[in-house]
Amino acid sequence: MSFHFIKEQDFAAFVADLIRAKTVIGPVAKTSRQQEKFVFAKLSGPEELRLDYDVTILPPKKEFFPPKQHLLLFDGARVSGCVEPVEKVLFGVHFYDVKALDMTDTLFREKNEDRNYLAHREAATIVISSIQKVSPRAFWASIGSEVKPRGHDAWLTKVAGGHVYEAVTAKGEALLKHGRFAQASQPQIAGARQANEEISKQCPEQLKGTSASNAKKVRAAFGVEELWTKFAQDCFSCGSCNTVCPTCYCFDVQDWWHIDQDSGGRTRTWDSCLTEDFAKISLGAGAQENFREERAERFRHRFMRKAAYLNEKLGGPACVGCGRCSAACTADIADPATVINSIPEA
Amino acid sequence: MPTTTCTCGGKAVAKDVKDNIFLPKEAKIIRVEKTTEMERIFTLRLADESQMKFEPGQILEVGLMGYGEIPLGLASSPTRTNTFDIVVRSVGRVSQALNRLAQGDSLLVRGPLGKGFPLENLRGHDLLIIAGGIGLCPTRSLIQYTLDRRKEFQRFILFYGARDPQQQLFLADLSDWRKSKDVEYHETVDRGDPSWKGNVGVITTLFSKTKIDPGTRVVICGPPIMFKFVIRELEKLGVARQNIYLDLERRMKCGVGKCGHCQINDKYVCTDGPVFPFSEIEKLEEAI
Repeated sequence: MSFHFIKEQDFAAFVADLIRAKTVIGPVAKTSRQQEKFVFAKLSGPEELRLDYDVTILPPKKEFFPPKQHLLLFDGARVSGCVEPVEKVLFGVHFYDVKALDMTDTLFREKNEDRNYLAHREAATIVISSIQKVSPRAFWASIGSEVKPRGHDAWLTKVAGGHVYEAVTAKGEALLKHGRFAQASQPQIAGARQANEEISKQCPEQLKGTSASNAKKVRAAFGVEELWTKFAQDCFSCGSCNTVCPTCYCFDVQDWWHIDQDSGGRTRTWDSCLTEDFAKISLGAGAQENFREERAERFRHRFMRKAAYLNEKLGGPACVGCGRCSAACTADIADPATVINSIPEA
Repeated sequence: MPTTTCTCGGKAVAKDVKDNIFLPKEAKIIRVEKTTEMERIFTLRLADESQMKFEPGQILEVGLMGYGEIPLGLASSPTRTNTFDIVVRSVGRVSQALNRLAQGDSLLVRGPLGKGFPLENLRGHDLLIIAGGIGLCPTRSLIQYTLDRRKEFQRFILFYGARDPQQQLFLADLSDWRKSKDVEYHETVDRGDPSWKGNVGVITTLFSKTKIDPGTRVVICGPPIMFKFVIRELEKLGVARQNIYLDLERRMKCGVGKCGHCQINDKYVCTDGPVFPFSEIEKLEEAI
């Protein structure tokens, strides 16, 4: 671990050199008539990089687990795997998204290693950037504080006059050669720490209780049907909350053909446990069984997954407080802070 | 859908990766038997002639490229040669495509996957297998196993229920079991027909046909609605919950504990099951 400093006037040249050398993915603005929104996209110049973003529409997991990903290709009887990782730098990821990536790493690694995800993940260098602007629905400061961000290679923090760059791994260290870095002074390192602490006081929403107490009360509320029915009464079962979530990783698998009708592939796409068909099976002769038929059951399942079921594996809740689901939900019923806060103590 | 994009850039170049959990193996169809209007029994052998090593109760993802995969319980015992059986019920696109295949054709399999019946807990005890409908397919693996290693078990009792006589599977096996001294076989149909001379009624009516010792190990596989009623009967008989094993069905799409479709609370049926002791899942609210 080493701390470095780059002056503001040298920063664009650093990013420009990085882009010349590598595929760099970073937050860029996507303007609409209503407001400016942000996405992670491939950078073609340093002027595109917007480290002052609040939150991106989709989390950076899409770089390793894209909305559509081929698992197999076939040509006649020949079937082959389809893992071809591309080395890339994810530059400017907020720490809560790194926590989510680390959770996704754990879940794709456990039991049966999913190389379709892990190969892409291992080929990436991840640079955290300090949060400069807080999104309106964020509560990352009050959820899962015992789970520290892991798996990043460097942490960049904006301070007076420039940026402090903390290289955490050899991969993070290797990026230093692209810019005019000097060793960071103690006041600069202290300034970086203070900047990261200060911003965390600005989260507009707050989750009450600890991870353990929330897991306990959410789990204990499983059988309180009227509670879940009430929470879910305006749910459209659209799955938007799942789609924008950085820790959701459920998927569907579908086959497809090329027009030659001899070749094609098997592709996974993001799927949503809130949608009606998610747990449905066909029994034959027109009969079906849906193991989570009711909206309330599906809504509850999501909250159990986020607040309770995975805590043991992940060391804390499977929610990082990014607020994307709250913002994406048409009915505005998906906010984990609001829902969990309103569940009575066990 | 050829315009699909992915992190491999949609390139036609693909490379095989060691331990790719989605890469299937080719299996040759040695024999096909149409057993009912909707079901076919396939006897398969891996194309590379290697032996499929599995335990009764484990599942396979079976499919065809361009159609997809479906999870199926292995329907034969690992004690029987180097072939293995599956039963395909025509319910959707994949199963209908599979049921159009003939002897000599190939299909693709992934597995064995999941946890099967806990043989070490069944050996040395009375064993009761309760199979409803297509639930006879995965339990047939254990039935064959028990018959092949009969001395390892005490009493062996089998209950089989079908909707009507036309829905009965494995007719040759049923005929053998009716005559066999190695298994106490009891069968029923929900609805009889003029040719049916046996018991008519739901599967729980078979409990009155024999005496079950409370120490019996019990395996249940059938439609979701069957479990509750059968367990109620077993509780009346005093069978301990840890000695009752349920073979559950869910939408096991990926089969490797990732895709999320088969979850019951925090369990993945495809990797934590599909066989569970009742004592392990009785508190899982969504299990049965």
